[in-house]
Amino acid sequence: MIPIDIRPDKLTQEMLDYTRKLGKGMENLLNAEKIDTGVSPKQAVYTEDKLVLYRYDTPAGVTPRPVPVLVVYALVNRPYMTDIQEDRSTIKGLLATGQDVYLIDWGYPDGADRCLTLDDYLNGYIDRCVDYICEAHGLEQINILGICQGGVFSLMYTSMHQDKVKNLVTMVTPVDFQTPGNLLSSWVQAMDIDLAVDTMGNVPGELLNWTFLSLKPFALAGQKYVNMVDVLEDADKVKNFLRMEKWIFDSPDQAGETFRQFAKDFYQKNGLINGGVVIGEHTIDLKNLTCPLLNVYALQDHLVPPAASQAMKALVGSTDYTENPFPGGHIGIYVSGKAQKEVTPAIGKWLNDRS
Amino acid sequence: MNEDSFFSNDWMETQRKYWESWIAMNRKAMGLEGGSQTAPWESALDHWWTAISPAAPAGSKQFMERMMDQGKAFFKMAETFLPTAGGGDGWSAFSKALEDMQKGFTGGLTGSGDGQNAMHRMLAFWELPLDNWQRMTSSLSPMFPGDLLRNMPHDGMQEHVDRLLSAPGLGYTREEQGAYQDLIRRSMEYQKALREYSAFYSQLGVKAVERMRAYMQDLITSGKTIDSARAIYDDWVSCCEAVYAEEVGTKTYADLHGKLINSQMALKQRMSEMVDGQLGALNMPTRSEIRTLQDRLQETRRENKKLNHSLKVLEAKVEALISGKPLPEGARVKTHGVPRAALIAGPAEGKGAAPKKPAAKPTTK
Repeated sequence: MIPIDIRPDKLTQEMLDYTRKLGKGMENLLNAEKIDTGVSPKQAVYTEDKLVLYRYDTPAGVTPRPVPVLVVYALVNRPYMTDIQEDRSTIKGLLATGQDVYLIDWGYPDGADRCLTLDDYLNGYIDRCVDYICEAHGLEQINILGICQGGVFSLMYTSMHQDKVKNLVTMVTPVDFQTPGNLLSSWVQAMDIDLAVDTMGNVPGELLNWTFLSLKPFALAGQKYVNMVDVLEDADKVKNFLRMEKWIFDSPDQAGETFRQFAKDFYQKNGLINGGVVIGEHTIDLKNLTCPLLNVYALQDHLVPPAASQAMKALVGSTDYTENPFPGGHIGIYVSGKAQKEVTPAIGKWLNDRS
Repeated sequence: MNEDSFFSNDWMETQRKYWESWIAMNRKAMGLEGGSQTAPWESALDHWWTAISPAAPAGSKQFMERMMDQGKAFFKMAETFLPTAGGGDGWSAFSKALEDMQKGFTGGLTGSGDGQNAMHRMLAFWELPLDNWQRMTSSLSPMFPGDLLRNMPHDGMQEHVDRLLSAPGLGYTREEQGAYQDLIRRSMEYQKALREYSAFYSQLGVKAVERMRAYMQDLITSGKTIDSARAIYDDWVSCCEAVYAEEVGTKTYADLHGKLINSQMALKQRMSEMVDGQLGALNMPTRSEIRTLQDRLQETRRENKKLNHSLKVLEAKVEALISGKPLPEGARVKTHGVPRAALIAGPAEGKGAAPKKPAAKPTTK
C-alpha cells in the first residue's frame, strides 16, 4: 500500500478552499492600511549624521527607574523590530517594568558613510550617545541592552568603557562565530571580503537579504507564503504578516569599512575567541568587562546558535553573570507572545535588582 | 465601484461560477459522468488565476501571485503523486513519480507530455535558491536584468575564447585590449562558478528525492498516510530543507559559494574600472576619485569630532579653574552641554530617520 491517499474530490475541495482564502485575502490586503511600525511614543533627543537617539515616553502610572537603559540594535535590519506592534513590543515590556528606555536608530547609510569604521560606531556614535544620556540624567553610568550585532558592539564598548556601563544585557548575541552548524560563518570563510568591499563600497542590503533567505530557502521563500494563505481571512493577522515582511526586507546597506572589519575579524578570524580585535586605539579583551551581565539567547536560533552566545561566560571578567535561555527563535524572542510574558519582564526585573 | 461591492458581488460571483464549472469538469474526470481520465489539477489553478486576475487590483496582484506560485507548487506535488496519475497500480505510479523526480534532477527526464511538463514545473521549486540569487544579482546590476550570463552557452565557446584571450594585445591600444580580454576572462570565470553552483543544487535535488522516498517508507511502516496536497507539500519542504541544511554546511559548498561571490565581484570590479576609464575620458568624476574624497572627508570629520570633544573638555577645565574649583584628575566633564538648547540644529539625514516634528528639538553634533 502506498502512503498517499489523496482523492480527486478531496483535492478539488482543497483547491476550492485555497482559492476562496486567496479571494477573501485580497480584500483584506486592499483594506490593510499603511503598515505602521514602531508603535510606542518616543522623542528624538540627539542626532548625529544619520543616527537618531530616541527616548521613549514613560507610560502613565509608571515611575521610571533612576538609571536609564540604552538599546543598541544591529546595523542589519531596522530597530523597530523591538517595538513592532502594540501587543508585541520589547520596548513596551521594558517600559512597563519601569525602565527609562533610549534607543539608537542608525538610519540608512549611503555612499558618504562608506568609510565609517567600527571605531566610528563604537568610540564615536555609541560613546557620544552614552555621554549624552549620562549628562541628561546626571549619572556616571547607564545600563546598556545590546541586540544581536548590537550586542557584540555593546560587549566591546563595555570592555573599552567599563566606567560608563552599570549593567549590560545582551540578546541573541554571538561571541563564538565558528560554532558547529553556523552556516553564515561557514559561507564567509571562502569569501574574499576585501574584494567584495573594494568592489561594492557599501554592502547592499539585498545581498544580506539573499544570504539570510539562503539559510532556509524553501521555507522562507516558498512555504511561508502558503502559510500566509491560511491567515489571509483574518485582517489583523494579514497586517501582522505584512509588518514582519516589511521588516525582513527593510535592510539598510552596510557601511563598507565596518562590514569589512566585522566579517573578517569575527566571522573569519573569530576574534573574540582568538583575540586580535583592535578598535581604534583599543585591543578588545572581554576580561575588562566586569559589570553585571545578563545573556539572553534563543534555543532555536538559526542565526546565532545558543553555543555561540554561551561562549560569553568564559570570556568576560564579570562575576555577576546570568544566562536566560528562551525556547524560541532569533525573531520570536522579540515578537512571540511567550517572549512578551517571559523575556522582557525577566530583563526588567534583572535590571531593577541591580539599578 | 466601491471595494465592498466589488468583493461582495463581482469577485465572489466570478469565483463561484468558475468553481461550478471546474467541479463539473472534475466529476467527468473522476469517471462519474464519463469523459477524460486526465486530472489537470495544477493547470486548473493556473486557469482560475488567469480568469480572476484581471479583476484583481494592481497593487495586490504581485503579492497574490507569490502565493499563487506556491499554491501551484503544492498542487503540482499532489498531481504527481495522485495514485491514478501514472496509470497502473498505485505502487508503480508512486515509484515512477519518485524516479521521474530523480531523472528531472539528473537531466534524464525526456518527453513533452502533460505529466513530464508537470514534473519539470514541480522541480522548479528547487530553483528557489537560484531564483533568489538572480533577483539579488539583478538588483545589484541595474544595467543587466536578471543574471545575464546564466544561460550563456559555455562549453562550445570555451576553446575559442581561451585562444582569443591568450593573444597578446599589440600597439597603441594594447592596454585597452588587455582590459577587454580580462573582462571576458572574468565573465567566463563567473559563468563557470555559476554553473558549478547550479550543478550542486541538482545533486541536492536528487538527495531530497531519496529523503522523500525514505520518509514515505517510514510512513508505510507506521501505517500512516498523507491525505492532502498541503501535507505532501509540507513533507517535501521538510525533506528539502533537511538535505539542504546538511549539504550547505560542508566545505564543498562553502568553496562553491565563495567562488560564486568572488568571481562575480571580480567581474563587477573590472566593469567598474572600465566605466571609470570612460568617465575619465569625458572629464567626469570617476568612482575612484569620489572614493578618495570620501576617505579624506571622513578622516577630516573624525578629527573634527575629536577636536570638538577636546575643546569642550578644555573649556570645562578652564571654567573650573576660573571659578576656583579645579576639576579632579580624571573627572568627566559635560561635552554635550545637555540641556543647553543652543546646540540644536536641523533634522537628521536619511529616509525616515527622524520625525518631522519632534516634540523637543534634539541635540545635534
